[in-house]
Amino acid sequence: MTGWRLHADAPPERLAAVRVLTGAFALGYLVARSPQLLALRDRGAEGFDGVGPLAWLDNPVADEVVTGVFAFAVATGITFVAGAGFRVTGPVFALAVLALTTYRASWGQLLWFDNLMTLHLLILGVAASADAWSLDARRRGGGRDRRRATLDHEYAAPLRLLCVVVVVTYVIAGVAKLRYGGGEWITGDALANHIAFSATRLEVLGGSASPLAHAAVTQAWALPVMAAASVVIELAAPVAMLGGRWRNAWVASAWAMHAAIAALMFVVFPYPLFLVAFAPFFALERAVSRLRGTPVVRLGSRRGERP
Amino acid sequence: MSWFHTHRWSIATVLVVAALVAPVALDRDSYPLSTYPMYAEARPREVSLPTAVGVDAGGDTHRLSLEVIGGSDDPLIVAGDLREAIARGDDDDRCDEIAQRVADDPPDSGQPLVAIEVAVERRDVVAFVRDEDSLVDRTVAARCPVPERP
Repeated sequence: MTGWRLHADAPPERLAAVRVLTGAFALGYLVARSPQLLALRDRGAEGFDGVGPLAWLDNPVADEVVTGVFAFAVATGITFVAGAGFRVTGPVFALAVLALTTYRASWGQLLWFDNLMTLHLLILGVAASADAWSLDARRRGGGRDRRRATLDHEYAAPLRLLCVVVVVTYVIAGVAKLRYGGGEWITGDALANHIAFSATRLEVLGGSASPLAHAAVTQAWALPVMAAASVVIELAAPVAMLGGRWRNAWVASAWAMHAAIAALMFVVFPYPLFLVAFAPFFALERAVSRLRGTPVVRLGSRRGERP
Repeated sequence: MSWFHTHRWSIATVLVVAALVAPVALDRDSYPLSTYPMYAEARPREVSLPTAVGVDAGGDTHRLSLEVIGGSDDPLIVAGDLREAIARGDDDDRCDEIAQRVADDPPDSGQPLVAIEVAVERRDVVAFVRDEDSLVDRTVAARCPVPERP
């Protein structure tokens, strides 16, 4: 990456690394959430209201459809990560995840945990994400045929788009706080009440609230500072596109914000908290190469950086 | 190579950004395109919280768990689901479901539970976190017996 422009150029391994990381996360997430996803089969038609791509759906689908789409998603998720038949399995896995997460969101409760992951999968699924570190690349082998097949493939542009999606998402979240809460959101009791609400809701449902919630609510002077910080972090997201230290500082700040939310409210946004959401901002292939003690294994594409 | 092919990713970027911003322009939250309004709106100190509790033979109430109440470890899902059920008038059915879970796997609450109450508790959440008196009102939406284990 150059000093001021993120992903001015990128080798196929960089996009492939994001494919592997995001695909593995999504696959693990589906498996971990399988009880909740498969339990949707037991829900009746009341309360169902299709949203987004399923807005046309008036009633729940048959149980077999939910089971089938889930199984299909897991199977294509494996091939997505492995980069096998990616021209088909890439977009198919992304669409299967979109279908499942949209279906779950169609029961009257939008939770915002899955949006960024799903949008990233859709972009990765149609990009040349399996030109490296994949079974497809291994099957193509080296030589002129491989170079010809991947000659006009873009790697930097999809990476930048993945980053743009992250940036725009966070800016929208910051705008929402000012739009719906106004300046009072920063100076008033909004954050204290949100923290107290999360703790109380958890306790009355038999859970245990964060021990930090009591401290946060009683130390009222700290909350406007935290509220201002969260809005600044969200609205400042575009600086990450500058790369370098700006990117590092913003990613660290955004991660810290999510860590604080998890610590205070026990509300976890796993995709950014596990740093997968921010993976597109970094030259992950260099980290892998350093770990392996080898230079970046290039495909011989005319694009790409020196190892 | 066509102009479109050459600039396909720039075009895609413009379209994706437009799609992301569209919910903001329309002020309409959806999925996967959203206005991301989490925690954005002011929340009052007094709120109504749906819950379910177990009742023992002496009439004392005992907190149940997220899994027993809603079959999930996610409080957002359990609370939202229970609120929707009460709003739809399905509180009796939900009470029976919870009672069955308790019968199948009795919680370790000391006294055996003989009944379930689905209730809405109105609380001052800041007072609750400060361990002060917080209960403003309590409305029982449904009560049902815990079936005996076979």
